[in-house]
Amino acid sequence: MMNRRRLLQSAAWSGGAIATGIGSWVIQPKWASAAGPIKVGIATDLTGPTAFSGKTNANVAKMVVKDINNAGGILSRPIQLSIADTASNESVAVANVRKLIQRDKVDIVLGGITSSMRNAIKDVIVARGKTLYIYPQQYEGRECTPYIFCTGPTPAQQCDELIPWLMKNGGKRFALPSANYIWPHITNEYVRKVIEKNGGEVIFEEYYPLDQVEYSATVNKIMTNNVDVVFNTVIPPGVGPFFKQLYEAGFGKRGGRLSCIYYDENTLKINPAYEIEGLASCLDYFRALTKDDPVSARIQAEYDKQFPGNVLFAAGSAATGMYRGLKLWEVAVKEAGKLDRDAVAGALDHAKIAEGPGGPAEMVPGQRHCRMKMYTAVAKEGNYQIVGRSEGLVDPKAC
Amino acid sequence: MESALNAIFEVLSFGAIIVLVVLGLGIIASMMGIFNFAHGEFVLLGAYTTYLVNGAGLPVWAGMLAAPVVVAACGFVLERLVIRRFYAAPVAAMLGTYALGLVIRESVRGLIGGLYISVPEPIVGSLIVGGVQLSKWRLAIVIITALVMVGSYLLLTRTSFGLRVRAALENPSLARASGISTDAIYAVTFTFGAALAGLAGALVVPVFSLFADVGMRFLILGFLAVMLGGIGTFEGPVAGGAVIGVMSAALPWAVAPVLADVLVFVIAIVFVKFRPGGLIAVRRL
Repeated sequence: MMNRRRLLQSAAWSGGAIATGIGSWVIQPKWASAAGPIKVGIATDLTGPTAFSGKTNANVAKMVVKDINNAGGILSRPIQLSIADTASNESVAVANVRKLIQRDKVDIVLGGITSSMRNAIKDVIVARGKTLYIYPQQYEGRECTPYIFCTGPTPAQQCDELIPWLMKNGGKRFALPSANYIWPHITNEYVRKVIEKNGGEVIFEEYYPLDQVEYSATVNKIMTNNVDVVFNTVIPPGVGPFFKQLYEAGFGKRGGRLSCIYYDENTLKINPAYEIEGLASCLDYFRALTKDDPVSARIQAEYDKQFPGNVLFAAGSAATGMYRGLKLWEVAVKEAGKLDRDAVAGALDHAKIAEGPGGPAEMVPGQRHCRMKMYTAVAKEGNYQIVGRSEGLVDPKAC
Repeated sequence: MESALNAIFEVLSFGAIIVLVVLGLGIIASMMGIFNFAHGEFVLLGAYTTYLVNGAGLPVWAGMLAAPVVVAACGFVLERLVIRRFYAAPVAAMLGTYALGLVIRESVRGLIGGLYISVPEPIVGSLIVGGVQLSKWRLAIVIITALVMVGSYLLLTRTSFGLRVRAALENPSLARASGISTDAIYAVTFTFGAALAGLAGALVVPVFSLFADVGMRFLILGFLAVMLGGIGTFEGPVAGGAVIGVMSAALPWAVAPVLADVLVFVIAIVFVKFRPGGLIAVRRL
């Protein structure tokens, strides 16, 4: 039986747990100002299947905020970071993000990895929460809600240069094997247009259940139809067995070219290097850039120093989008001179940064998406080799 | 012709993989009446052990030998500590094993950083038979599955241990009255089932790579196979596994893959509707 003291104790304990909340952390700045700190909220997947990306996002945010605070903060005020776990689960996310808005009263929210997560939390942030929202991940485009700014690459940025390169270095016959959800569907619409505009041909476009792991029928179709380029949007866990079966069927050996636009340094480890030799990807950053870009090298080294281990600073994990998002927002707040949502959104609409991972970036006025440099890279013995760089900043062609 | 040969091989090898995974699940379900929802995570533990041993610099096959032993040990401990309390309450057993599975899965996810990690095959490359490339490792899986299946069958039907296992299933009170410790028999059976899951995980990890949810997909197919095959016999779940594995690999050759995924379930459910006992309904073992 529970006596009164036990009851009071446990009530006090659970009361404390409810008040501070499970799944959220606040990182206080080292110095204070009379006006109090500026509050930045990060809502990302710290647990669950997409946690490997979410942890990267939280790390990058900590690194950039520390940087800004060490340089004197923004408007002479330090930044306080509130991190909420969206747990790879939309219903958990909505509750935790609501805490960021209502309890922590953050001035901006950055985060979300999947599009379904963005769609789940955006209303809580921008409509009911009347707060700005920056989404950092590469995605299918078409997010045109006011007060939402996207700092990751869109299909146009990833395909405009990659597909002509694939035609030159692979062939004109394309297969589009895809996972059955929104990102592949919308990306493929764009990919098909670019392929056909450049005189190529889509042999088949096919969608699979998200957890399918057996691809012999698909591989057979690719081999018997003499497909030159496999433009893959199948995602893990299916992508590993799929690439393995393609390799075993001899697709690479007969000169076929693999391509996958979300492939970064993390996904490179799904298969043994020889199985995906020659795979072409197109992103806004690869670690290989650190060899000849001092800014990228500095950021990468700083990240590796602060967060050694297996949570990598990788473009596919939205590391670059998070970096860019925070820096662009910093510029915007400085220009606006205040934290009022409309004023900051107005300044963010044309914000520019000269330095970032992969190069400079700027918002396209009126589109709330980012122009950035794009790189084509090819997998070589377990690493990437840069084979193409965009001339200048590539347009997102969004909204 | 080439394409047909290729299709047969690929379909057969996926069927073998499902049979391998279902074997342990089926033995535990048939011999003990426990639906082990942590089976997928035992498969994951087998895969993880292989990865760890390989990562320590030892050859992959050493990891594959270690996996069934390590997972059997885990299974034994869990049976003694947790599972044995559930024999009288099968529904509680499902929830209990599900909870165990969740703990194992999330722990492994934490340990591997939620990533997808490749584990090499012990035998790399393809055989070329009649102009078709057949993966050597998939061929090895087919052969090992056949051997394990025959071995398990002989163990349960031809040895005195098998006789006691069957007696404990058929009539536990009579078995106890005849001097058989059903408690010990259950512990050994569960451990054996866990070892088979560990072996399955070790053998399939080079094909599917290591990730925390590797067991999940197979668990659902596995239960479907057990339902289709029927509980209470050794052959039932194995036959069910073969049918489910072959169907899920063969249907995408004929219809759209998204449709094929659903069709496997529809066919299985319609079949069970007309034959509620499953493929092999009689308790022969």
